[in-house]
Amino acid sequence: MTKDIIIRFVGSAGDGLVSLGNLFSKILKKHNFNVLGFRSYQSVIRGGYNEYQIRASTDEVLSIGEEADIIVLLNKSVAAIHRVRVNKDAMVIYDNDYINLDELDYPEDIQKLPIPLANITKDISKLKVLKNIVGFGAISQILGLDETLIKEVIVEQFGHKGEEVVFTNFEALEKGDKFATENKWPIKWEKHKYEKAQQMIITGNEALALGMISAGLKFYSGYPMTPATSIVHYLTKHLPKLGMIVKQTEDEIAAIGMAIGAAYCGARAATGTSGGGFSLMSELVGMAGIEEIPLVVINSQRAGPSTGMATKTEQADLFQAYGISQGEFPKVILAPSSVIEAFNVGVDAVEIAEKYQVVVIVLLDLYLSEHIATVRKFDLERKNSRFAILDKPSEDYIRYKITKTGVSPRTLPGTKNGVFFTGSSERNESGTSIASTLAGLPETLPIREEMVKKRMRKLEYILEELEKPKIYGEKEASITLVSWGSTKYILREAIKLLKAEGIEANQLHIKAINPFHKTEVKEILSNAKEVLCVEQNFTGQMNDYIRMKTGFDIKHNLRRWDGEPIVPSQIIAKVKEVLNIE
Amino acid sequence: MSEEFNFTIKDYESNFKPTWCPGCGNFSQWRAIRQALIELEIPPEEVVAVSGIGCSSHMPNFLKVYGLQTVHGRGIPVATGIRLANPKLTVLVYGGDGDIYGIGGNHFLHACRRNVDIITIVSNNFVYGLTTGQASATTPVGTITRTTPRGSIENPLNPIATAISAGATFVARAFSGDLKHLSYIIKEAIDHRGFAFVDVFSPCITFNRNQTFNYFRERVYKVDDTDHDKEDFYAALDLSNQKFIKDNLPIGIFYQIEHKTTYEERDFTLNQGVIPAHAPLDLSKEQIDIITKEFY
Ligand code: SF4
Repeated sequence: MTKDIIIRFVGSAGDGLVSLGNLFSKILKKHNFNVLGFRSYQSVIRGGYNEYQIRASTDEVLSIGEEADIIVLLNKSVAAIHRVRVNKDAMVIYDNDYINLDELDYPEDIQKLPIPLANITKDISKLKVLKNIVGFGAISQILGLDETLIKEVIVEQFGHKGEEVVFTNFEALEKGDKFATENKWPIKWEKHKYEKAQQMIITGNEALALGMISAGLKFYSGYPMTPATSIVHYLTKHLPKLGMIVKQTEDEIAAIGMAIGAAYCGARAATGTSGGGFSLMSELVGMAGIEEIPLVVINSQRAGPSTGMATKTEQADLFQAYGISQGEFPKVILAPSSVIEAFNVGVDAVEIAEKYQVVVIVLLDLYLSEHIATVRKFDLERKNSRFAILDKPSEDYIRYKITKTGVSPRTLPGTKNGVFFTGSSERNESGTSIASTLAGLPETLPIREEMVKKRMRKLEYILEELEKPKIYGEKEASITLVSWGSTKYILREAIKLLKAEGIEANQLHIKAINPFHKTEVKEILSNAKEVLCVEQNFTGQMNDYIRMKTGFDIKHNLRRWDGEPIVPSQIIAKVKEVLNIE
Repeated sequence: MSEEFNFTIKDYESNFKPTWCPGCGNFSQWRAIRQALIELEIPPEEVVAVSGIGCSSHMPNFLKVYGLQTVHGRGIPVATGIRLANPKLTVLVYGGDGDIYGIGGNHFLHACRRNVDIITIVSNNFVYGLTTGQASATTPVGTITRTTPRGSIENPLNPIATAISAGATFVARAFSGDLKHLSYIIKEAIDHRGFAFVDVFSPCITFNRNQTFNYFRERVYKVDDTDHDKEDFYAALDLSNQKFIKDNLPIGIFYQIEHKTTYEERDFTLNQGVIPAHAPLDLSKEQIDIITKEFY
């Protein structure tokens, strides 16, 4: 029998919601559940209204889910706000010393599970967060979780803080468990022995970072900006052991500038930010483009424009990425859809950048950057090789030699006979600027033409290396859903649910935005019965982009721009509307 | 290395001839940089010259070393990245007052503060030359330029005082009209461990009728000829303000301290002797365990 549960912790900033959510996700992972966790939060450091929702299943978890089975209310003010989000058959756990649900007008038919969390921990320790562990104990009773496995997670998490901390946590856990038993809390799943999990549990940002590291990333610079900051946090932890440099700079211009300098020197380099920082980086993205310096630039999209909604998700920077920086140069744009794909794109981005001496832009979105998911162990034991770098150039070496693929072998500073000049101006094959005293001369015109062509044709070769888009699901489906970025698996869940109702939908998901598989996309869309484009923005950027690239005009759209991830029920409703099904 | 070193000044010269107006102050720096590299016996392949945009920023075009011209104002962060990826290289940033004090001012401050071991030479001509004569961050109050037809109303930046207060460990000034002294200062700057900054009075003969060669010749005097203590922070600051008080202009080393550790020396990766540009790309089993432990 499939086990599938949604648990939602509701609290304020300062309630320790992230560590609590991460810890409980880990506990469920230990029990070999597939887990997905996402925090919906505000840009405040204390107070406010936040949710951390975890979904665990013996089946694959495609979305964070909608209606929570178990809700844990962490304080009175959020309890009042949360009332409208409670579904009828939810179990609601709350500290009855602080919260009175009757006063708050909670629906009658929910299952109220009061527990004096704070009071229980009073005689164990003064630590406030301990009450969360009591809560875990109580929930574990409902779910029939294995006490030994939970304790294992606690040891892993708090072991370094010393035995006393571990034992206090154990005690809190047992008290929660005991309270639930004594008060005859409902049992959802019977206790049984769990197979211990080998999976990893990781966020999109961390997976991307791991992918880049395994592809030999040696330099990363960034300026703090939600939701990209956790990439720096993760990388910084281990950098000396990896022979890697991570720098926080004075602004995003310096961040990309340093990364370019390092890349030019031979270190595989990346920088990351969100839309605002991405705007600041724009000019130097173009410089890396014309100087043919390999570089990975990550933009984790959040709701814009301008400061927009700093902690909310959106997919509205597609055209910003496509049009970034003045003039024309090859830019590769890849948008991973899941934690697993974030890892793979991390590897590919670093490799493509060096192989083709281009800028690779990785477009994430907040939901992908920040949600946590269980994945099979990543293969980090890669054998990397270097591309197009000359250690012993000949005496007549020239840096920007016109070649078939557009890639000219480069030398790294320090290499004898390899000395060359590069600049942000147009140049000839040897690197000399043709923008000043040579500009416009009759013999210069064909050089300019050839240099632009040389750079741009790299995209043709890169396109061949990228995985072609395919249809997921039944070929003959009544409707084809088009998606990009983190909505991919949310759509998959909708497709699964639709199928259960006898409605066949399939999916075309776009990962490579530039270069673009126009032939394949056009063919797939032309053969579809109906097409619905689903995206997290107002204007329908992917819809416009597909029309621009293929001439195919997608008729139906589902767009969400309120800052929260799209949910399967929205997609299902829209599909039914398009197909005229009641 | 000294026995093998047989490079001449020509070996540092690219075959792209300088495009500056004949008589421009930048020519002296072009000569002085090469002179200093030879005296220090640094072969061309171990030097990276980085610049931004402006007349003076064309410099790397005319040198036969690894050269990288960035966009306007961004030489310093790019140079910092180069130096961090390979601390064996000598990394020079060259630019004008518009490039480094104006649009790139933020990076200048932070490079001083970090004490990153690069050399920044600013060709200070008190005007925007390449864009044909507008006011810059160092243009004196009252100066008439194409963007200040009624005279500039902005106070000029004092680059020497700024660099000293921001934490640079080598702060000097030179004058294009004194090639010997200029080469000496640039040589000392390259030789310095830590962030070295040289502001060069470098007349723009086309767009600046005020700060001319003669103007400087009449006013400069050498710090070395005085009893200035270059390790004295406050004396250095005091000296840097003289130009604003009296009409005489000290050139030479205002401030230099050797005891402060550099950015590279403090870096937890670099201080293990790693050169990130050439570090192994593959992860060992042990490294994999360390970086993934938290995900299990
Ligand atoms: S305009 Fe001025 S600064 Fe520019 S090259 Fe001519 S003299 Fe030199």
